[in-house]
Order: sequence, then structure tokens, then C-alpha cells
Amino acid sequence: MRKKPRYHSLKKLKIRQDWSRWSLYHLSELRPPNTATKTYFQQKWAAKSATRAYHGEVIREKKWKRQFKRSIPAVVPMDFKYLATHDGAEQAAGRGAGADSEDKQRTPLQTPYMQMTYWPIERRLDTAIFRSLFASSVRQARQFVVHGLVKVNGKKMPYPGYLLNPGDMFQVEPESVMFATGAPKVRTSTARRVAKERAAARADARAANPPQIPPSSIKITAPTREEPSPAELKKTLQALMEKVEDALAEDVKAKDKQKLRDFRKTVRSAVSLWKNASPDSVSTLDNQFSFLRTHLSTYMSNAPPPPPVPSTPSDSSLPPADPNSIFSKSDTAKLRAAFDRLKAEADYDSKWNGKDASKPYRTPWRPRDYMSAFAFIPRYLEVNQNICAAVYLRHPVARPGLAEVPTPFHVETGQLAFNWYLRRR
Amino acid sequence: MPPRLRTSNLPSSAASSPSIRSQCLFHPIRTSRELSQTSCQQVTARRRKFYEWLNGPGAQLKEPLPGSTNYLGAYDKYGNLVRASPAWQRKSRAELQREKEMKQAEPVVKAEPVKAETEKTEGASEGQEEVDELEMQTRRDEEAKRKETKDDDQQLPPETAEDLRPFPQNRFFRSQPVLSEDLREAIYQRVKRDGATVSLASVEFGVSNERVGAVVRLKQMEKEWIAQGKILAVPYARAVLEMIPVTPFIDTSLPENKGKRPVPHEPINDLIVHPATRQQLFVPVAESRQFTREDAGKAFDNHLLPADDRIPHPELVKAERELAAGLPFEERRRLVEGRLKAEQAKKSKEEARKAAAIASLKTVPQRRWDFVFQDVSVEAVGKKGRDPRGVGWRYGFPHEDRKKGHVKIPTRVDA
Repeated sequence: MRKKPRYHSLKKLKIRQDWSRWSLYHLSELRPPNTATKTYFQQKWAAKSATRAYHGEVIREKKWKRQFKRSIPAVVPMDFKYLATHDGAEQAAGRGAGADSEDKQRTPLQTPYMQMTYWPIERRLDTAIFRSLFASSVRQARQFVVHGLVKVNGKKMPYPGYLLNPGDMFQVEPESVMFATGAPKVRTSTARRVAKERAAARADARAANPPQIPPSSIKITAPTREEPSPAELKKTLQALMEKVEDALAEDVKAKDKQKLRDFRKTVRSAVSLWKNASPDSVSTLDNQFSFLRTHLSTYMSNAPPPPPVPSTPSDSSLPPADPNSIFSKSDTAKLRAAFDRLKAEADYDSKWNGKDASKPYRTPWRPRDYMSAFAFIPRYLEVNQNICAAVYLRHPVARPGLAEVPTPFHVETGQLAFNWYLRRR
Repeated sequence: MPPRLRTSNLPSSAASSPSIRSQCLFHPIRTSRELSQTSCQQVTARRRKFYEWLNGPGAQLKEPLPGSTNYLGAYDKYGNLVRASPAWQRKSRAELQREKEMKQAEPVVKAEPVKAETEKTEGASEGQEEVDELEMQTRRDEEAKRKETKDDDQQLPPETAEDLRPFPQNRFFRSQPVLSEDLREAIYQRVKRDGATVSLASVEFGVSNERVGAVVRLKQMEKEWIAQGKILAVPYARAVLEMIPVTPFIDTSLPENKGKRPVPHEPINDLIVHPATRQQLFVPVAESRQFTREDAGKAFDNHLLPADDRIPHPELVKAERELAAGLPFEERRRLVEGRLKAEQAKKSKEEARKAAAIASLKTVPQRRWDFVFQDVSVEAVGKKGRDPRGVGWRYGFPHEDRKKGHVKIPTRVDA
């Protein structure tokens, strides 16, 4: 049997649908097609071969040939004001109607139909997952689908060749997405040794005193995420609000006052939207406020001491303030509160993106190498990255000056490839 | 050609057999023998070139550029960022880390005096130091801000269309902005809380109708996830939204955005190119005749509506016409309300029809699955008996599902 050609070969530069450094290198080496020395057939063949290595290389040629459509969806953006004021007759008006202007109409931008040859492939589920940045290659996206990690409209869809219809929502397991797009785990001998030692220690501990708690109760007690309830969030925000009111009551510099007012507005809007406030936004507001407070206290050490922060639990536990210190007792209390908040924030951070050896990717999570060079989301998809779900809004279209199918090739290559498939129709 | 065998798997006698050694005879004699056993030096040259590029110009693309996109099209072939000023220098990861720590150091500093006082050793002097540090910090911040506004050597100018090209060869494709988190939230609130219709929200935010619907649907799901305590992919979302261009949300209700306008995300009145209009058509028309869009549509296809009715927001055209006609405000308002009412009626009628269709099905609930019975008619096969709506096996009408080339996987999934 013939040896399979290399997927990423440095001999034959083929761009693949993935975020690898080889693809990037090949992209940088890509040139317009050579039309001077090759026959038309050779040009078409080369174009087909190059484009098919990128677009749907997992699809057999025969299947793709059946999918190929010579009609390509396109749109033209319309100006509603123009439509309201003109009925189109002015375009048909000749010189007899008095149209005698010398100034030529600006030629509209070219609609790149020829870059849209492979638009039916963008409908495929695996390709759409790759395009929404949920997988680092189409092959990986395909694997996710086959392994049952992908749902379409809330139902498991194990077919990578499923053609999405406009309005279909697909979602991928967030853990798999983090694995696919995150930097790979480094496996050093030290880490392995440490893990082994820990495992041994745990085994020893288990052997010494077997667990009394039945596993079912463990499941209940272990929280997946310590997220404050909306009611708690609201309370926090209201407390914050009071603090700001206090701060505003003092006479402060105009500029600072302005800042505080702006801040108060954000808090107020946050309180009104408390249902959708995330712990994240609360912590940032908190940080902002504490910074402003300290800023104020350092600038106006001669100002009357601000009223103490209400309901600070650590207030009583503090030792009396040093008389030489610039910070008054209430200030120290505030600092203490800020410190507590900082600690809480650190906890929160670690909960979101902390070190976790059990994860299959490097923790804390960071994007994998070369991801940013390939990171774009075409307009026919609407993606929510938080839940790793996306909606296929419509088919990709060509519009003046823009083709929505992401293809790395020159427009001439696209045309040649289109002609290759046209031949058999 | 004999199959390739690994020498390590062979006994020494086999390795030295002439049939295997004969392969080597075809290779040209190398002038310099190195330790490498590579049969072809050419590959090594290619690989060297590859790594040269990867460590030279390609090194810029390895990690995202903070606060900007980082596409291949933004660099020249030597790996210089084209849009950056000559003095601009990319920060290394260590520098970024340091900056981050500087930012974090500020609240940490605030926490210091508490510790110092509990220790009760040189509390005052340390407190003083902290204050100095804090002041220095604020001064530095302000200085940095002033520097940014004055001369932006270190500040990158916004991306041009060239810089947003991930594929430099394809000048018809660029990375287009996506909705920012704030904008998504605002759209969701506008539709869910304020009860705005999809088309109204679409016009307000400059986002297409379908996208408004999708944003609401996805956001709804996100809220459900939060309520259920599921883990969101927050680090991933943050990283991705930093890497790609984003349409910001400008809240015009805020006083600081008074003169500003919301940034339109995409063209909302896209007219789909109808297949009937793909052909070129020559229609002789008397010059005295008023040949409008409507007539042009008729010339292509008898049922083709003019663009005014086929765009996603025909109500905008109507409203504009009424405005141009000089109708008073009250009159226009009445007309708009009448149109809205008609639309609502149409919608409710459609919903009622759907509900009736569902109600006509007979459902027998079971333990796990429900049985749903639908009335069918034998007459549905039609006179020729070949109508696809017909049920059951019919003579001479083969089952399509055994045919070649028919898709066996589902073609749609109902939401």
C-alpha cells in the first residue's frame, strides 16, 4: 500500500484548517497562482488540489462534487433612505429625460463570488465548530462531534457532516473547548514525581483511615462553584452604594467628586440590573471604589475623617491605630476590608482559572500558541464564548468587496477551483 | 522497490544483506558526512528555513498582542508590525507580567499597614513608605496617561482593513468585529426587560434581525447556566474577545456619551440577490415611460417584489416616506401603530395555527416516550400515486432511503 502523504509537509506546502505553525508558515509562503507557464488544466488542477487540502479535506471528492453548487448566495446592502426617496426610475432615465451628466457613477465594489466556491462546506457541523473557535482544527472538531460532546438545538448530534440550518444552535462542552484552545500541559519529570508522591501519600492516608462518609453525601456537599446568589449580590451592591454616598457627603476635590459620581452611576445601574450582575463585575466595582478611597485619603490628610464603613466585620478585631500613622482607625478598617476583598478576589480568580492538575490542559489556562493569528469569527455565526455555544445565523454570503467564506487563497485560485468543478456540471 | 524496514528491528545478518544495502547505492555520494542519517539533505534545508521563519518573523504571531488583533496581514515579511510607529516595541511576556503585578501591587500595598500594625514594628515608618509608594503610583499612572495622550509611541494606532487580514493573499476576506459582552447584555436587556421587538432592537443597535434573536437566545442560556451553577469558560471568553476585533457598546443614556452615536455592528438592510436577477436582461422601454424598481422586478420575474418590500426592515422605508411626505407627527405615529398592530395580528394568527396543528395530534403519554398519532389520508398520494406526501408502500414507488446519494443523517433538528 502506498504510504499516506504527510499531513503537514514542508515539501508540498498545503494549508490545513488548523492553528498549527505549519499552516501559518505555509500561509506566509502562499503566492498567487502561476498562470504564465502552466496550461489551463494544470492551473485548475493545482488550484483544486490546494483549495481542497484546506476546505473539507476529510470529505471524499465524490461527495464534495455532489455538494458543489454553482449558485452562490449573495446580498447587496440597501440604504433605506435612498429607497424611500427614489423609485428607481432615475437609473433608467436617459438623455431624453434630461440625464446629461458627465460625472460617471462610482463603480461599485466587486462582489467576490469566486471566493465562495466552498460555501456548502461551511454549513457542516465540524467546520462551524472550528470557525467559532471551539476547536483548534477541523479534525479535532470532528472528533468532538463523534465523541458526543456536541449538541445541536439541545440534542446530541454525533454526525460531523450534519448540515446546519439557519437558526441552529450548537454547543460544545466548555471543558473540551478549554482543552482544545488552551496551551498543552507540560509534563516534566518533576511534576510526575510530585504527582506520584502525592498519590502515594493519599493512598497511605486512605489505608490508615478508610472514609466514613458515603460517596453520595460527598457529592452533595461538594459545591461546583461558589457563586453568590442574586440576593447576596444585590446586598453587596447596595452596601457599596451607601459607602459611595458617604464619600460624596465629604467635601472633596471637584475632579475626584466627578469620578465618584460616575462610579456611583455605574453602581446604581448595577443595582438596578442586579439580576445580571456577575461576581466579576462586583469585584471590579469594589476595587475601583477602594482605590478611589485611598486616593482621597492620601490627598487630603487634613480633611475631616470620613465616616466609618458600616458593617465591617473585621473592625473590632483590629488593634488601635498608631497615632503617628496617617491612616485613621476608620481608614485602617477600610484597608482591612479592602484586603479581605482582595483575598476573596484571589479565591475567586483561583476558582475560575487556577492551578488544577486534574485538568487536561495547562493551568492557569492560557490560549495555545499561534491561536491569535487564526482567531476570527465569521459573520454568519453568533458565538457566546462563556457557554461555548453558537448560532448558525444564515448561510455565508458574498457582498460587495467581501466574501464571508474564510479561504486563504488568492481570488484567482478560487476562480480556477470553481472552474474545475464547473467542468463536470 | 522493497518495503522499508527498520534496521533496528532486524538481526545483524539481515541488516547487512545485499538486498537492503542496494538501496543506498542509488543515493549520490555526499561530500560531507555528518552524524545525521537523513537520506536527503534537501529536507533539512526546508526545515531550517521553516524554523528560521518561525523564530524570526513568525515569533510575533506566537502570542496574542495585548489590546490588539494579531494577524499575519498586519506584518511585513520581516516580521515588523506595519502600522506601528518606528519607536514602538513589543512588550515581552515578562514585562507584561511585571505590569500586571504593578497593577496588582496597589491593593496589596493597602493591605500592608494592617500587617505592620499587628507586628507593631516600625509601623509608622512603613505606613509612611506605603503612602509614598501610593502617591508615586498614582503619579506614575497619571504620567502614563498623559504620555499616552501626548505622544503615542508605545500606543498602537487602530487597525486598518489590511491589518485585519488573517490571510494576506485573500483581499476579500477580513476578520470582522463581533459583539462585545456589554453590547450583548444591552441587547438582551432591551428585548427581555424592556420588551422591545426584535426589529426595533435591530435598528437601535445596528445589528441584524437574526443576530438579535441569537444573542437573546444565547444570553438566556448563559443566565440559566449561572443560575444552575455551571462552570462557564470565562478565561477562554476573555482571551478570545481580546484577540478579535469587537464592536463596543456606547450607552447613549450616559452623560459622558452625550454627543456620541452607537457604533453600528453590521448593515441591517441586506437585500438577498434573487436567482431570477442573476441573468442579464435587455428590456426595451420607451424613454417617456417611468420605469421603476417595481417594473424592473416584473421584468425579471412576475412574482419578484421590489427591494422596498424584500429588505429586512421595510418599515424604515415606509416611515421615511411618510416623513418626506410631510405628515404631522401624530399622523405618522398612528400609521406606525397601525402597522405594528397588523404585524402583531399576523403573528398571533400564525401562532394560533401552530397551536391548532399541535392540538390536532393525539398524544398518548407513556412512561418514557409519548405516542403521537397524526391523521393521514390515503388520498394524499394524488392521482398519479407518486406524491411524496403519500404514506405506506406503493407499487412501483421505491423507498428513497435505500437510494444512493441520499443523506442518511438528519437534515434538521427541531429546537
